[in-house]
Amino acid sequence: MKPKRVIKISSEDEKKKDNITRIIVTNSESMLPSDVMMKVYHSSSDVTAKETCFGTMINGPIESVNKVVEDVVSMDPNHIFVKDRGFLPGDERRCRSSRGGGPRPGFHFLREEVNTLPLISKGLEAYYKGESPSSGFEAKQKLDAFKLKYIIESEEM
Amino acid sequence: MAQIIIYPTTSLILSDLVRRFGHEPLVMMEQIREKINTVGIDSPPLNITGQEPKKGLKYAAVEVPAGVRGRMALVGPLIDSAEAGIIVDEPDIAFGCMGCARTNELTKYLIRQRDIPLLEIYYPRTEDEGKEFVKQIATFLKELNNNSKNSESEEEAN
Amino acid sequence: MSDEQNSTDLPIYDAQKRRVDRASKEKSVKIALLSCGSEYAGVQAEIESAAKDVNAQLVYPEIPVDELENIGRDFGLEVASPDLKLLMARAKSIIKGDVKVDAVLITTCFRCAEAAIVRNEVRRYIHNNINLPVISYSFTERTKAATLLTRMEALTTVARRKTLLSREKQKGLTVGIDSGSTTTKAVVMRNDEIIGEGWVPTVKVIDSAENALRDALEEAKVSKEDIQAIGATGYGRFLVGDHFNAQVVQEEITVNSKGAVYLADRQKGPATVIDIGGMDNKAISVDDGIPGIFTMGGICAGASGRFLEMTSKRLGVDITELGALAVKGMKENVEMNSYCIVFGIQSLVNSLAKGASPEDVAAAACYSVVEQIFEQQLQEIEVNEPLILVGGSSLIEGIPLALGEFLNVDVLVPPNAHLIGAVGSALLASGYVEE
Repeated sequence: MKPKRVIKISSEDEKKKDNITRIIVTNSESMLPSDVMMKVYHSSSDVTAKETCFGTMINGPIESVNKVVEDVVSMDPNHIFVKDRGFLPGDERRCRSSRGGGPRPGFHFLREEVNTLPLISKGLEAYYKGESPSSGFEAKQKLDAFKLKYIIESEEM
Repeated sequence: MAQIIIYPTTSLILSDLVRRFGHEPLVMMEQIREKINTVGIDSPPLNITGQEPKKGLKYAAVEVPAGVRGRMALVGPLIDSAEAGIIVDEPDIAFGCMGCARTNELTKYLIRQRDIPLLEIYYPRTEDEGKEFVKQIATFLKELNNNSKNSESEEEAN
Repeated sequence: MSDEQNSTDLPIYDAQKRRVDRASKEKSVKIALLSCGSEYAGVQAEIESAAKDVNAQLVYPEIPVDELENIGRDFGLEVASPDLKLLMARAKSIIKGDVKVDAVLITTCFRCAEAAIVRNEVRRYIHNNINLPVISYSFTERTKAATLLTRMEALTTVARRKTLLSREKQKGLTVGIDSGSTTTKAVVMRNDEIIGEGWVPTVKVIDSAENALRDALEEAKVSKEDIQAIGATGYGRFLVGDHFNAQVVQEEITVNSKGAVYLADRQKGPATVIDIGGMDNKAISVDDGIPGIFTMGGICAGASGRFLEMTSKRLGVDITELGALAVKGMKENVEMNSYCIVFGIQSLVNSLAKGASPEDVAAAACYSVVEQIFEQQLQEIEVNEPLILVGGSSLIEGIPLALGEFLNVDVLVPPNAHLIGAVGSALLASGYVEE
C-alpha cells in the first residue's frame, strides 16, 4: 500500500507545521479515559482526540492542544502526564495495520514508563506537600565479602 | 525557561516533569515530527534518507554504523542546543530512537561533554525512590531558574 | 515496415520491468523483516521498494512485550541494544508459530559487531528450527533497492520453489545457460550427466547465448527441439530467458549455490561457495544447498579474474597457463604494495625488473586476488567447510592453492566448476521435465 502523504505541497503547509500531537496518559483512580475525552471536547473544538491503549492522543494547532492539555491535567495534576508524539494519530507510516503488524517502536518503552508512573505520582504528591523522602536512592552494592563468607559457612553446616 | 536535553530522549516521565517545572524539553518526538513533515521526501516510515547518516558524520566517523549516525543526525542538534540536561540511567527497555546501545552511549557521552548543568539520576524502583526522583528533578530545574535570574540581575547591575 | 527496421525500433530491454512483471504473476510472499537500524540508516524505504518489486509483503511479527525482559537469557545471547533484543524476540515468535510467514530477512547495520553476532545467530536459529528460507544482510546508508533486489529475489524464489530447490539429481534432457558479464556458458545435461558444453565471450547477450548453446548442442549431438526444459541465469537472464522461453529464470546466487553443492557432491549441511568470475565474484554461505548470507562483488578489479588476465598478458602467457606457473612460484619473492589493478600490476612488473621469476609473479598475483577477495567479500561470511571454489578463475590452479593457504582450509574445486551457473540452471530446469 502506498504510504499516505500527510503533508501535501499546498498553502496548508504553514498551518500544518503548527499542528502537533500530544499523548495524555492518566494514572488516576478518580478518572476514566472517558472523563478525559469529555474534557477534551469541552475544552476546544479545534482538536481531534483518539483513545489508545495507553492514553489519549490530542492533535491540532499548538495553542489549542496546549489549552486542552492544560485543562485536562488540571483535573488531577499529579496523576496525568503528557508526552509529545512525532506522528499524527493513525499515520499510515506508523500504523500497524498498514505496516505489516508489530507495534510502533516507542510503544514498549512507553509501556515501561507507564508502569513507573504510580511512583512518580507519589513523588509529586510528596513534593508538593513538602515531604522529604526518608531515604534516597538505594546504592546498588555488591554483597559484603564477610557476609558472603558467613552465608557459605552457614550453608555448609 | 531553559531548553533541557533529556535522556532517554523519548521519555514521557522526563518530558512531562521538565514542562511541569517550567522548562522546555528537547525531545526526539519533535525531531521526528519535523522529519516526517518534510515536504517532498517520501521515505517511510521516518522520512530518513541516506542524507541523515551523512549529517551524522558531525558526531561520529564513517566507521560508525549508519544507524548510529542516522540517529545522531536527529539527537545531535538537540544536544548542541541544550542549556541543561537530565540523564536517567538504566531504562529497562526502549526501542526505535532509543533502540541502539551504541547511539545511547554516544548520546550520554556528548551530553556530559557539554559544559551545561547536568543531573544524573536512576529510574525509581520504590516509593521512596519515586519521591527522591521527583524532588531531585524539581530542585535541579528550579535552580536553573534561580541561576538564570541571578545572571540576568548581574547583567542588569553591570 | 520491414523486419529489419522493426528490430531497430525495439525499445531498450528493461530487465527491471521484466523482473517485476514476472514476480507479479507469482503468488505474493510474506517476508518477516527482522531489522535493527534500517529506519535510521535511510534504507527502510529501499527495503520496502525491493520487496514490492518481487511481489513480497513485509511483516513485523508481534511479540508479547514481557518476553523482552528476559529475551537475552531465553535466546541465550545477551546484548545491549534493545532493537536487537526485539529482533531476537521476533525470531522466537516466528519459530513458535505465532506468526505465519514464508521467508525471513535479517538486516542490520554494517560494521556493528553486536548486530553481526545477533544477525548470524538468529539466522542459524531460524534455519535450524523451522523450514523457512532466511537471508541476512548488513547495510550502509548507500544500500539501494537495486542491491537488495538480488537478495529479495533469492529469498522469494526459495519460498516459492521449495520443491524445485530440493532437487538433487538432474533428469531428462535439459539446457542451462549462464549469461555472465564476461562469458556466456551453456550446458546440455541428460540424466544427471553433462553431455555438451559451450563457453563463449559475452558480446551481444542473445547472440552469445545462441553461440554457446549451439556449441553445447553440437557436442551433445542433440537438436534444440529435443530439449525438454531450459534454465537461464546471470546478468542477461531475463533477456535470454525470454528469447529461449526458459522455464527457469533465476538469479545466480540461488543457482550457483545449488550448482556448487551438486557438482561437489556436498548437497547436505553447511558449505561456503566462492565464485570468482571474470568480473564479478560471489561468496555464499550455504545450508543444504540454500543460500543464507552472501556478498556480491563488482567493486574492485583487484579481486577479479581481470587482475589475473592482466598479469598473464604482462607475463606473455595465455591465461590458461597462469595457474600452472603460479603453483611453481614463491609469492614471498615478490613485494606487492597494492591490491589495485593499476598499482598492483605495477608492483608485479617492478619485481620482474628486480629479478623475480614469472612463476613467483604468477603466485603473487593469485595470492593478491585471494587477499582482496577476503578484504572485500569474506568480511560478512562465515567460512564453513567444505569451501567450494567455482567460476572461471577456479581453473587457475594458483587460486585454490592461495585461497587454501590464506584461509587455512581445504579448498574443493569440483569438476566443471567453470560451468557452475549453467549446470545449476539445467539442474533446476529439470524440475519442469514432465514424467
